[in-house]
Amino acid sequence: MTDSSTPTLEIRDFSLVFDTFDGTYHAIDKVNLTLRPGEAMGLVGETGCGKSVLTRAAFGLVPTPPARITSGSVTLEGRELLGLSDRALRGVRGKDVAMIFQDPMTYLNPVFRIGTQLVDAIRAQSGGKASKAEARALALEMLDKVHLPNPERQFRSYPHELSGGMRQRVLIAMALAAKPKLLIADEPTTALDVTIQAQILDLMAELVEDMGLTMIMISHDLGVVAQVCSRVAVMYAGKIVEDAPIRQIFDAPSHPYTQGLLAALPHPFKPVDKLASIPGSLPDLLNPPEGCRFAARCAKAHAACAAPVDFRTVGPGHEVACTLYDLAETKELAHEH
Amino acid sequence: MLRLILKRLGLMIVMLLGLAVITFTIANVAPGDPARLAAGPDASQEMVEQVRAERGFDKPVPVRFFIYLGQLARGDLGTSVYTGREVARDIAQFLPATLELVLFSITIAVVFGIPLGVLAAVWQNKAGDHGIRLLAVSGAALPMFWLGLMLQWYLALELDLFPLGGRLGVFDDVPPKITGMITIDALLDGDPGTAFTALWHMVLPALALSLPALAAIIRVNRAEMLEVLGRDYVTNARAQGIGPFRIIAAYALKNAILPTLAMIGLRFGWMLGGTVLVEGVFDFPGVGLYAAKAAVSSDFEPIMAVTLILGAAFMVTNLLIDLAYALLDPRVRNQI
Repeated sequence: MTDSSTPTLEIRDFSLVFDTFDGTYHAIDKVNLTLRPGEAMGLVGETGCGKSVLTRAAFGLVPTPPARITSGSVTLEGRELLGLSDRALRGVRGKDVAMIFQDPMTYLNPVFRIGTQLVDAIRAQSGGKASKAEARALALEMLDKVHLPNPERQFRSYPHELSGGMRQRVLIAMALAAKPKLLIADEPTTALDVTIQAQILDLMAELVEDMGLTMIMISHDLGVVAQVCSRVAVMYAGKIVEDAPIRQIFDAPSHPYTQGLLAALPHPFKPVDKLASIPGSLPDLLNPPEGCRFAARCAKAHAACAAPVDFRTVGPGHEVACTLYDLAETKELAHEH
Repeated sequence: MLRLILKRLGLMIVMLLGLAVITFTIANVAPGDPARLAAGPDASQEMVEQVRAERGFDKPVPVRFFIYLGQLARGDLGTSVYTGREVARDIAQFLPATLELVLFSITIAVVFGIPLGVLAAVWQNKAGDHGIRLLAVSGAALPMFWLGLMLQWYLALELDLFPLGGRLGVFDDVPPKITGMITIDALLDGDPGTAFTALWHMVLPALALSLPALAAIIRVNRAEMLEVLGRDYVTNARAQGIGPFRIIAAYALKNAILPTLAMIGLRFGWMLGGTVLVEGVFDFPGVGLYAAKAAVSSDFEPIMAVTLILGAAFMVTNLLIDLAYALLDPRVRNQI
């Protein structure tokens, strides 16, 4: 049923608003994302840009109300997910789409043993088909796979008896037990010490390769994304502004926001007096601008930025939503492909 | 664990001593002459003085306190100056009735309070939630004795569904005394009919006694559930595809129930105190009614005994609650 041409995940024209006391908050606006099998994509942007909301809402993890999906479609291997019942979505979550989150300290239940939580998750992922013994065997196998020392013992531990890095390994084991079609890693290393971060990233890179995982990795850190992903989508204020292979982002960042993000990375060998930053702040999403949402902070903004901006192709697999690039050029490039 | 229990039991003795000092002082600064009370209203002044010397009422208060403590240490709770009966025997007679009533009441409060709190949280801001919250607010606002009177008036007098008061009907046989709790004694005696009659007699007083506790448990459990349902580990459980029943009844409730447990312990103490009011309304022969009668006649030793015993019951309950905490929360278990 699925061939290589069917994307694992395709998000089309996805918009989401929050109905708040102050008005309608336009959190995500007409987002498009395509993920092919085996692809590891980074989704970067600053806190509050909507990257977590996007990936959670697509799989029914954002409470509605207050959230409301106003347009779009989300297909997983060709199957439409929006409009599915809670029960059907529950069958998708865990089994087909797995998630790991930012803070391993708070994502494990403090009053249940690690083993109980793993077995529960694995049985839920199997739709209740796996027996307790099967789930237990798989849980121990997964703990071994994520290189958790002494799995038998950790199986009987409570979360507070494990370090942050160990807990993240447990959560990764839990997420990957069902061999999901898609893994969403939501800032999986942000809350960890730098040395542990490196270990977890190594582990994830290893698992992506071994298991042929298709993955979206959410991060605000381009450096972290570069270690695991082959492609990056940059998000700003609820919109994707640039989508490119990872090398392209570093070699030829095209959107002024992406350029600003890269300029803000401190250089390891060049001491600076003051770190670069992007002036201004996020637009008011209760009344978002019709055109480019970054225009108000952009040094290169001009009259055309006030109208809605389409994507232009500026290189192989490299798209950007910015009026600085010529739409005609896009057509030529597209023709060459 | 054993160390914790021993430590807490040791602390309990200290706390009971403190309770004894306070109660003893209050009882002795209260107006009234215990010697006159013991000798009776018709006794001559000489007879009153004779009683005073016999029973040691002429000694200074601190001395009398230590004499009383010595008496307690020997397990002697004293004698009522009013009825001349041994207080220990009275307590043995009345305490089981009160314990039976309070245990029944706290069971009602917990069995209904926790699920209602959970449902209110799950149905947040929907009709069911509003209904449950109305019950919770009423329970907190209505005084126990007034509620008791209204229940008596409507359910016992108007509708004739329940007896007005007492532990059993006039013509019911009391089962042989084993625990003193009629429901249990009747069941042990193989007489479920009498057990049911006794339970039926407890329904109205237990409702009056349990409503404030029920209200408190609902409110705390609802608030805790709302908080816990928003926690990250619940999001993770949902992301794993775990079903809503398991998430609510296990993942969330086991966390939310911890503060609720503390509330249950506190409310158990309030209930013990509440028996003084409710047993009076329902003419239920327990220690509450006994203490109320003793207080009216300034009968000092029964008041002391009831205070100390209810105090001890409160402390034991809270120790049990703390142990339950450790049972449910591994983080607490590691600390002890």
